[in-house]
Formats: sequence, structure tokens, C-alpha cells
Amino acid sequence: MVTTIASSWMKAVDRPLGATTPTVDPQAETLRLFQEHGTALYRFCRSVLRQTGDAEDVVQETFLKLLHHLQHDGDTRNLKSWLFTVAANACRDRTRWRLRWLPWNAERDDRTVEPDVRLQPDTTEIARRAFRALAPRDRLLLSLRAQGLSYKDIAGASGIREQSVGRLLSRALERWRKQCVA
Amino acid sequence: MRCLSDVDIQAVVDGEASPDHRVHADACEACRQRVGERRQQMETIASLIDADGMPSTMAARLRQAMSANAGRSSGTGPAEIQGSTVLRASAPSRWRSVGLISAVATAAVIALVVYGVLPRLGAPTTLSASEVLGRSLQTISSGQGVEQLEYEVAMDGMTDGPVVIRQVIDRDNPHRYKVASYRPDGTIATAVSQDPATQQRSQLFRVDGTNYIVRVGAIHTPVLSIPQMAQALVETSIGVMQAKSDQQLTIEDGPAGRRYVVEIPPVTPQNATSTLDLFSARAVISGADFRIQEFAATGTMLRQPFSVSVKLRTHEYVGGAVPADSFAITPGPDDVVLDGQAAEDPVTELITTVLRELGRARGK
Repeated sequence: MVTTIASSWMKAVDRPLGATTPTVDPQAETLRLFQEHGTALYRFCRSVLRQTGDAEDVVQETFLKLLHHLQHDGDTRNLKSWLFTVAANACRDRTRWRLRWLPWNAERDDRTVEPDVRLQPDTTEIARRAFRALAPRDRLLLSLRAQGLSYKDIAGASGIREQSVGRLLSRALERWRKQCVA
Repeated sequence: MRCLSDVDIQAVVDGEASPDHRVHADACEACRQRVGERRQQMETIASLIDADGMPSTMAARLRQAMSANAGRSSGTGPAEIQGSTVLRASAPSRWRSVGLISAVATAAVIALVVYGVLPRLGAPTTLSASEVLGRSLQTISSGQGVEQLEYEVAMDGMTDGPVVIRQVIDRDNPHRYKVASYRPDGTIATAVSQDPATQQRSQLFRVDGTNYIVRVGAIHTPVLSIPQMAQALVETSIGVMQAKSDQQLTIEDGPAGRRYVVEIPPVTPQNATSTLDLFSARAVISGADFRIQEFAATGTMLRQPFSVSVKLRTHEYVGGAVPADSFAITPGPDDVVLDGQAAEDPVTELITTVLRELGRARGK
């Protein structure tokens, strides 16, 4: 029954609301989580995949899976970690797919992209190129950490042991640093 | 203690180091310097990654995909999504309760569009734009008597779930109405009533378990009423729907009779420049009286993205014989009533009444 104090004034239309009224809206919750984590997730995907279109696709797929997860009463503890885990898996799938059939991409085509010798890249550009040159796993780990995930969450998302996260992050950072000065 | 290894330094930077290592990193000059360097390197990488901004269309694109996904999955069981990750065994959902934004006026406008006006357009057809517009304008004012509606609304911002709206509208006098919204647990959230016959307007807000009613007499008329706002929105909506040339009509014959399902397939959102734009829409219409039973849409209104879903629960015309207090809010014994003075609009009335009350409480 409706338990309003002022229910009497609404008697003309007041009726029991029924027991089937949903107490939560998975769509609204999905959109709320998108507002909260969407940008970080997009940056992570963009960083790992290096292509805007692919990153957008993965973000969309990830939140659709979240909607499905919520609609079926999935575990709602630490959904941030859940999101990055799903996105990391999707990024890995896309990377594998690219290895089988790689579309032409100017960004990755070293033969056609001639460096402009007249322009000296600034330090930011050097840092960016060095990051792009890292192995996929190094980019994945550094990107997850850059989005504020804990070692435990990074381990879950990347499929490596939690005890190894610090060591692998340290090595990834060292490789990036060497690339910068190479 | 020896100086820290690179891995230990990394853990300090990442906030994952043991207390002993943290203490050492603070105390040891060499380690403190290494922590600073490594932290700077991590910040550089973070700044590289954070330089990539998400496209502004991403939110609309997701809403569109969710809407399309809901359309595909409805009636055929849960949508199968391959590759979804299950972390652990499911636990009962514990939803965080965030403040409910129960937009009574907005919801009522949408419902009036869906249930009050669009049904009078007649059967869904592929009429030309001018014919649809002509019929809609003709039927907007054709309702008679007192209409009672109950419907469920879910839209952006309603983080506690869909609200139930109940409303009474005198179709012969658009300034005479009462609308109330209820939270998912059945408690009232907000209400507004207006009756030119008694020259009274009341607004109710439930705050911390108490109903506060702002009551104003000798109201100025005409104040733009919710039905009139709906009418303006309807005209815009019809114009937008006319512009869509790819409506899809499906006829379903079931135990409850014939239903028409009209869909506007999702389109790629462009930079919205119009007042109202629809990216996708779906309406389920009764074959018996052509009343819309369900309506879902995504798009932009005043350049702001929106997503709304409305489901009709009950509807009836009760003619002119309604109780005298049908268009008034009668306070309960525990309700707080604030009497105010009429202003040009209800929002001003509300604010000035509350501020006067606050001033009195402070001895002003």
C-alpha cells in the first residue's frame, strides 16, 4: 500500500502501487557509472588501442555488458574494477584480431610516415612516441595505473598475479624512460 | 635498512608500499629523490593518457545503443552478450541511494505528450508530414472531461529508479490539474495542484520524511500550466517526428488484442541545433483505442541529451463528476503548511514563501 502521510488528498487517484514496482533501474545506474568512469575508461582504451574508433567501440561494448550485468543481478561490488577488467579483455581481443588482419593505418605505417627533419619534437611528443612504442602489456599496465587502479584491481584486469604488478610496472616505466632518451 | 629497490620505489609512488618502506623513503635522501623522479615520470605518462578527451557524442551514442539493445531483448528474453565477465558469484544487489530528482513537471509533460495528445493522432500510418501535423493540431484540444492517468517514468537523473506519476487533468480547463510523483517504495515525492475555480495553487515536497505544502490563494491566471507546456512540446515533437522518413510499423496480434509498434530506428547523433531532436523512439500503441501504452526515446532537448521511458499503467475518463477537492492538496495531520502570496509563477511563489518563513523563524 501507499504509505504517504498525505495520501488522503490524493484519494481520487490513489491506488496501491503494486509489488512489482522495480526498486532500481539498471539503465539509470549504467548511465550514472558512465558519467563517473566513462572518461577514464575511454582514456584507458584509447591508450591501449591507439585508435579512437576502436576505443569508442570498446567503451560502448563495456557499458552494454554492464547493463546486462546489472539487469541480471550481477555482483555490484567494485564496479570500477569490473569495468576496467571487461574493457581490458575487449582491448586484448581487438589487439589479437588486428594481428590477424591489420587495416592500413597511417599512424602505424613507418614506411609512409616520414619524419619531418625540420621540426624537432618537443619533450611531450618524445614521451608520447616512447609510450606508443612500448609493448602492449606495458601500455596496458601503465594505463591502468594511470587511471588510479590499485595493484589488486590491475591484477584482476590484466590477468597477472598481484605480487607481480609492482615489478612489471617498474620495468615498464624503465623501458619507457629508456625509449625517451633513445 | 638498505635503500629501496626500484620495485619498492614504484610501490611507494603507487601507494602500495609497506609502512617500513614508506618511512624509509621519507627518511632517506637518496630514496626520496628516486621517489620524486619516478612519481614525475608516472605523472608524465598519466598526462599523456589524460590528454585524450572522450568525444562529446559518446554519451548519446551509449544511450542509443542501450535503447536499441532494450528493443532487441524485449519479448525474447535477456539479450545474449558474448564475452561478458563474471567476477564472482552474484550477491544481492545493494544499490546506493542517491538523491532522487523527481521532475514532476517534466514527467507530466512527457506523459501528456504520450498519453494525452499523441493517441488522438489516430492509427500509426505513413501519412505525409502535413497531414500528421494537421491532425495533431486538430486533436490537441479535442479532449473533454476529467482524465485520470497513472504511469511509470524512467529518465536521466532518476538514480533511485523509475517514479510513478498520478495525475488528474480537466481537459476542458488546462489550468485545472493535480499531479503527484511517487518514489519506487511508494512514498510521495512531490505534487502540484492548481484550480482556477478556487483560485488556489499548492505545491508539495517531501523532505526528510515530512511533507511541506506551499499553499497560495488568489492566484494570477493564466500561469503557463503543465498541459500548455505539453502542448508546446507536442507541436515540436510532431515536427521532429515528421522529419523522420524511416518510421517502421509492426502489427502484433496477441491475447490482449492488436498492438502497433512504431519505431524510429537509431540514427547517429549529430550536433543538435534544434530545440528537440530524436535519435531513436519506440511507441507501443493499443489497437483498440490507439492510446500509447509504452514510449521510449533518446535525443536532445535544448541541446541537452535525454533518455526517457514511459509506461502507462491505468487511464480513465471520469467525466465532469469529480469530488471538489480533486484539484487540491489537502494537508495531513503531520504535514507542514506554508501559506504564501501569489506571484507570476509557481517557482517564485515557492522561493518567496520559504524565504519569508525562514525570516520569521529568525525573528526578522
